[in-house]
Amino acid sequence: MSGPGQDLHALPPHEFFEHVHSFEFWLGSVEGYLAGRPYGHREQLAEPAFSEAERDRLVTVLCHYCLGETMALEGAGGLIRSAPNRPSKVFLATQTVDEGRHLEVLVHRLAELGVADPEAEIERRASPELARFRERLLALVNAGDWAAALFAQNVILEAAEFAVFHRHAKSADPITREVLLGIIKDERRHLGFGENELGRRLARAPALRERLRAVKGELDPHVLASFSHTLTLLGTPAAERGELGRDYLAAVERLGFA
Amino acid sequence: MSLEGRERRRYELDDRGFDEVPVKYRKYYRRLEGPGDQLAPNELLCPVCKVVIRSTRELREGDRLYCMACLTRLRVVAGPAGLEGVVEYT
Repeated sequence: MSGPGQDLHALPPHEFFEHVHSFEFWLGSVEGYLAGRPYGHREQLAEPAFSEAERDRLVTVLCHYCLGETMALEGAGGLIRSAPNRPSKVFLATQTVDEGRHLEVLVHRLAELGVADPEAEIERRASPELARFRERLLALVNAGDWAAALFAQNVILEAAEFAVFHRHAKSADPITREVLLGIIKDERRHLGFGENELGRRLARAPALRERLRAVKGELDPHVLASFSHTLTLLGTPAAERGELGRDYLAAVERLGFA
Repeated sequence: MSLEGRERRRYELDDRGFDEVPVKYRKYYRRLEGPGDQLAPNELLCPVCKVVIRSTRELREGDRLYCMACLTRLRVVAGPAGLEGVVEYT
């Protein structure tokens, strides 16, 4: 894209758009923070001494995250078919790889914490609210409803995960923190892709807003209940929860859903 | 002389260790270092992903910037606490 000495911010929008939706850009981006971190963290980090209760809470939280990442993986992969153009399809291919990696590093973290059968543990502990969100998301994806499915996945789900992972990373043990920070870096792209694609669509077709508002109304209770359950397990004080809720809502507010 | 009439200050950007974009673009970004972090006149906070975007020149209202970390184009506007970024869905 830009040559030596060219100001990035002076690029024409179409050049920027084309480049940031490419595999080349994705590879150059993830190389910086994934190289030398098998399973999302440096190998020399020491496992902390957890009490049994602390370990149990962390395992439950990670099981919630695993279900969230499983639906994000299924959703991103499923959306490629209905994406309206090549850059969006290519971007979703990179997002699918990101989501697969997230699931893998989180399952690996469960194994590091001594969970013998992570798949069974995820099934047993995962939040029922998230399971309901997954059913609805996949119904939208399978129906080929591009705007509604993208809104559910890349705005509602990603914004909630972004806020929770940020909060958790602040208080997490060093290994979990490093795993979460790597995931957050990927999620910046996913959030921005969803918001920008939907923002462009809403500008062209304002009538879409009412349909997306209905999707939000249907999915919000599930995502917020799951959000609240996870924050309780993390011991997040009530005052801080309000702030996290605002972070989650800011993205949907920018799109005009107050 | 008013801000608008004055020539813009230029900035030499250095790599601040922002590892989320390809190497050649890293100098255009940095992380926000907590609540006491003051933005320089050539910096703007991305409202989408909370990364600090840096420019080679002092920012003014109406400028356009790109946040590569979240693939977003922003327009610089005057807000109550200084310059802010508004997402341009183009």
